Amino acid sequence: MSFEPKIVAFLCNWCSYAGADLAGVSRAKCAPNVMSIRLMCSGGLEPAFVLKAFKEGADGVLVCGCNLGDCHYIDGNYKTLMRMTLLKKLTRQLGIEEPRIRLQWVCASCAEDFVSAVNKITEDVRALGPYRQNKVEVGSGSAIS
Amino acid sequence: MVALTLFKEAADMIREAGGEKLDNCYQCGLCTGSCPWNQVRSFMVRRLIHQAQLGVIDFESDDLWLCTTCRNCVQRCPRGVEIIDIMRAARRVITETGTSKIPDSLRLAITNIAGAGNPLGQPPEERGDWATSLKLKHHVNSYTLYFSCCIPAYEPKVKRVAMATAQILKVAGVDFNILADKENCCGESVRKAGDENLFRSLANKNLEAFSEAGVKQILVSSPHCYHSFKNEYSKLGAEFEVLHMVQYLAQLISDEKLTFKKEVKKKVAYHDSCYLARHNAIYDEPRQILKSIPGIEIVEMSDIKDNTLCCGGGGGRIWMDTKKDERFSDLRIQQALDAGADVLAVSCPYCMLNFEDSLLGFSDTKPIEIKDVVELICEGLS
Amino acid sequence: MSSLKGKPDEDIKIGVYVCHCGHNIASTVNVEEVAQHAKGLENVSVARDYLYMCSSKGQNLIRQDIMQLGINRVVVAACSPRLYEQTFQNVLRESGLNPYLLQIANIREQCAWCHEHGPLATEKANRLVSGAIKRVIHHSSIEEQTVPIFPATLVIGGGIAGIQAALEIANSQQIVYLVEREPSIGGHMAQFDKTFPTLDCSACILTPKMNEVARSPYIRLMTYSEVVDVSGYVGNFTVKVRRKARYIDEDKCVGCGICIEKCPWSTDSEFDADLGLRKAVYTPFPQAIPNIPVIDRERCVYFLKGKCKACEKFCEAQAVNFQQEDLYIDLQVGAIIVATGYDVFDPTPISQYGYGNLPNVFTSLEFERLCSPSGPTAGQLKLADGREPKSLAVVHCVGSRDQNFNAYCSRVCCMHSLKYSHLFKEKTGGEVYQIYIDMRCAGKAYEEFYERVQGEHVNFIRGKLASITPDMSDSVDEEKLVLTCEDTLLGNIINVTVDMVVLGVALKPRSDSEKVAQILRLGRSRDGFFMERHPKLDPVATMSEGIFIVGCCQGPKDIPDTVAQASAAAARALAMVVRGKMDTGAITASIDENICSACKVCSALCPYGAIFFDETSNVSRVNRILCKGCNVCGAACPSGAISTRNFSETQILAEIEGVLV
Ligand SMILES: Cc1cc2nc3c(=O)[nH]c(=O)nc-3n(C[C@H](O)[C@H](O)[C@H](O)COP(=O)(O)OP(=O)(O)OC[C@H]3O[C@@H](n4cnc5c(N)ncnc54)[C@H](O)[C@@H]3O)c2cc1C
Ligand code: SF4
Ligand code: SF4
Ligand code: SF4
Ligand code: SF4
Ligand code: FES
Repeated sequence: MSFEPKIVAFLCNWCSYAGADLAGVSRAKCAPNVMSIRLMCSGGLEPAFVLKAFKEGADGVLVCGCNLGDCHYIDGNYKTLMRMTLLKKLTRQLGIEEPRIRLQWVCASCAEDFVSAVNKITEDVRALGPYRQNKVEVGSGSAIS
Repeated sequence: MVALTLFKEAADMIREAGGEKLDNCYQCGLCTGSCPWNQVRSFMVRRLIHQAQLGVIDFESDDLWLCTTCRNCVQRCPRGVEIIDIMRAARRVITETGTSKIPDSLRLAITNIAGAGNPLGQPPEERGDWATSLKLKHHVNSYTLYFSCCIPAYEPKVKRVAMATAQILKVAGVDFNILADKENCCGESVRKAGDENLFRSLANKNLEAFSEAGVKQILVSSPHCYHSFKNEYSKLGAEFEVLHMVQYLAQLISDEKLTFKKEVKKKVAYHDSCYLARHNAIYDEPRQILKSIPGIEIVEMSDIKDNTLCCGGGGGRIWMDTKKDERFSDLRIQQALDAGADVLAVSCPYCMLNFEDSLLGFSDTKPIEIKDVVELICEGLS
Repeated sequence: MSSLKGKPDEDIKIGVYVCHCGHNIASTVNVEEVAQHAKGLENVSVARDYLYMCSSKGQNLIRQDIMQLGINRVVVAACSPRLYEQTFQNVLRESGLNPYLLQIANIREQCAWCHEHGPLATEKANRLVSGAIKRVIHHSSIEEQTVPIFPATLVIGGGIAGIQAALEIANSQQIVYLVEREPSIGGHMAQFDKTFPTLDCSACILTPKMNEVARSPYIRLMTYSEVVDVSGYVGNFTVKVRRKARYIDEDKCVGCGICIEKCPWSTDSEFDADLGLRKAVYTPFPQAIPNIPVIDRERCVYFLKGKCKACEKFCEAQAVNFQQEDLYIDLQVGAIIVATGYDVFDPTPISQYGYGNLPNVFTSLEFERLCSPSGPTAGQLKLADGREPKSLAVVHCVGSRDQNFNAYCSRVCCMHSLKYSHLFKEKTGGEVYQIYIDMRCAGKAYEEFYERVQGEHVNFIRGKLASITPDMSDSVDEEKLVLTCEDTLLGNIINVTVDMVVLGVALKPRSDSEKVAQILRLGRSRDGFFMERHPKLDPVATMSEGIFIVGCCQGPKDIPDTVAQASAAAARALAMVVRGKMDTGAITASIDENICSACKVCSALCPYGAIFFDETSNVSRVNRILCKGCNVCGAACPSGAISTRNFSETQILAEIEGVLV
């Protein structure tokens, strides 16, 4: 059987979740490997969520927020941006390959951006193969601010 | 209509020199309106900037050599465009690529500087001759250096400035040194004329001489030396204090190291040089000095301090020919006369040279005297 | 598999409802299989699939199960929660369950509609449903709180913005306090002669509104007063107002003006831009509201020298009271509207324009006063020597669009400059030059006004003015001014010789705007004007909940925009005040006091200033009224003390587990 990646996406409620909905409404087809989890703001994404996903068997994680400057909570996504940079340093140490984590801004009318991000991460992760978490024991992770 | 020459790389060089701010020019024409050239002939600065934006500069045009780098436009530009940098870059393209001709008079001066270290092409070993009668210390180790500038060192009409300066320093008991034949032209105007390589090599030679002599403080007569030592050499690793004579002497006077004994009964108009006033915001010290000399009555001309009228000598123009009826210095002398001055006081060798030249054209044999601030101090001391 | 801590001990009974949405979901996802899959999961009591869950029949299914089977958690697998979450929450509410014990799995937009039919789509739907089931186990009831809103509004600043906002609110029969610093309301608009583009007389359209303010029983007008302190938060602000001593009893004064007539001492009139005179006891202009004078302590000879009291002698109403002192009063309000307006730019630093040295160079505001029939020249244009000017130059962008002063465009100057051309032509028939960089006439009927003024034979010169100098040519004995600039369209230097120059000066933030911002906890944008919550979608609200900004204190704008903003802010304030109470959002953060380590990381990050540090118990606390539930604080709290209701860490982690089984 061919490898079907399991990917968790974290979407902010205001732009990116709406953009993902619009992809469906416009019947744009994308890879069925990505499961969305709704957050109020991408800035509310706890690093522990990403680590938990890998621990539970995810092969990749997609994080989506509003375009910079358009966050519903003013500047939450700038905080996301900073946090993701730090988080990527940590995950690199843990042996999680760069393409397994992707940050994508998706506006409420940017269905195509969402679809291509989903397809891109699915293909990247498929090429990498399943994530074997036992390389390093991933704890639940402390929060990174 | 002359076709515009399009050199992609040349245009890119200019755009780079203009930085991001070049794109921000919104073509208001304030630069043109502020440029002193337009008091004597037409010079469409704004149009040049637009040409730079589009990369369609006419390198054949004489206009590229006009800018005296007086900084009036840069100071006022509402969008912060570094117009002088753009002019400099255009000249640099010509110098480095030979795209078109450098004006003859400028080329001669540059060749002289490259060969002899001074624009007049005089022998380097005679650079310290002006000081022979004063018996000054030559290149011994010294904390304080007096750097005279090429013009006062060689030019007969301006030598008196260097001599007056040295005399004042001796009276005040300042321990100082000159480097004589170890000095080279500071290169400020060379750089503005577009010869970046020559500027670098001059700067390196001077920096070497300074560090050999252990110099920690440099006193200068020329605002151009001041500007390059202070703002340009410092980027090449220079670590010394630079003071223009008017700054240093104003301090000596307020410290009472110099006391005046004689009244100088004259009405004096002070001419702010572009490089002290607009480039470096120094305009209070010379006026303080004049005020402290007994007998002097200061009269002000219409364009002073930030709004000063350029003498026409910056940006390498001092070496280029300027048509008889296109000299800013003529206008300036008229302003001084209108203000009722007996003396037009300067603190820059270029200004002095230009004003002295202008005087020759006045029918009146000597309508006004041109004096450096240091000469007026000397008069008050003796 | 690791189990999550904190699972409630009650007996969890989950009902799962999978929607076919006609063919919309069912044609791609095998919904029966999804229901079957759910049935086998922990805590699931019942799992059904149905044609249209959102129909009343579908809703009834849920209702029945809650009532009859004792279902206490609900998962609906259907369309996006952005569509029907509230509908299903209501179903729970009506059935006696807390609405937040619901979770939606989005298997339509984010599954059926964007994937091909097949096992992979069904597998994804299964995962999404498992996630929702695992998550809902950790849901708990959320009680929505309401807080009372104090039914009064404060408006600071009585220019056209403040007047309009106050009237809108008063017309809804709600109490407004209108605090104005000057002796009269009216602001800048009261100083104008005519207003563009219609050229109606400013006083004619403003005075009726000012009178309405004076008459309204719902407006408590406090002029010659300033807000000095604000505490509390939305719904319940306490405001301290300083009522400066007028030295005239407002209750006794009948506005006869005999005091002004008799006062022997004059000084420059601020209202007339210092071009005219006023007395030491004065009203700024004849139509002042209130029509009660003030005695200017700095100018009054009694205060300066201890002798005079002419006004007191002549006041029949015995209203003059030299003993009066400043009064401080506390107001309680639910909402605040800030309408403090702008200052005009002082062009003195642009020395080449000669303002202050050349007597016939005026600012735009000065020109307004010269044109005004109630102004210092009774509306006649006069030069310093009393002559009527025969030519005028209007200079645009003085201190605007210039990074040496103000980088922004002041928006009204092109238009008022056109207005001046028209007025000058009308009054003198003379020659007019507009010296502009770009004509910006965007607004209803503005371009048409531009065209009209062009038709009045006005000269337009495109370029930024370089200098103004007195005309030195010997032929003229009358003093004239020479303006020099490049006409950038001609590519030529142009000299224009005129009698009079008007500088179209920039509109600037009030000089005390930093202080006002501090008092009100408002942000300021880089240009110094008060900052709106969102530049496009929320231009009248601010980051301080319950505080709104209108008119030029938010940025330069014309009167129509000012009035529109004022009405908008009034509607926003009314929406709060009229309801009398405000629901706090359900989705808000809370801080576990036992875990909080007092590091204050959270309070620094919260975009709404919703987190306060409680010094007495040494922990941070969330103000539920201000919190909007982004969880930015929760994601950053190094101790893990913060959890956002309905989006808690436990809930999200459980959902992650669920979608990955
Ligand atoms: C020269 C000129 C001409 C113009 N002509 C026109 C025109 O013809 N047509 C047009 O549409 N627009 C015109 N405008 C724009 C117009 O002036 C503004 O749109 C309008 O006045 C803005 O009103 P405002 O209430 O926001 O501000 P303001 O008129 O400035 O009123 C603010 C009020 O708040 C008070 N205040 C300030 N600070 C405090 C404080 N801390 N406490 C209490 N009170 C305070 C002030 O005293 C003032 O009464 C012109 C502008 C200028 C400069
Ligand atoms: S003054 Fe500045 S903005 Fe105006 S035309 Fe010149 S370079 Fe451009
Ligand atoms: S620096 Fe002076 S001379 Fe050169 S363009 Fe500007 S204003 Fe003209
Ligand atoms: S005289 Fe008295 S009543 Fe009349 S306006 Fe003056 S204070 Fe008021
Ligand atoms: S959830 Fe957001 S709005 Fe609420 S307190 Fe935390 S940071 Fe502030
Ligand atoms: S709400 Fe979308 S990123 Fe903050």
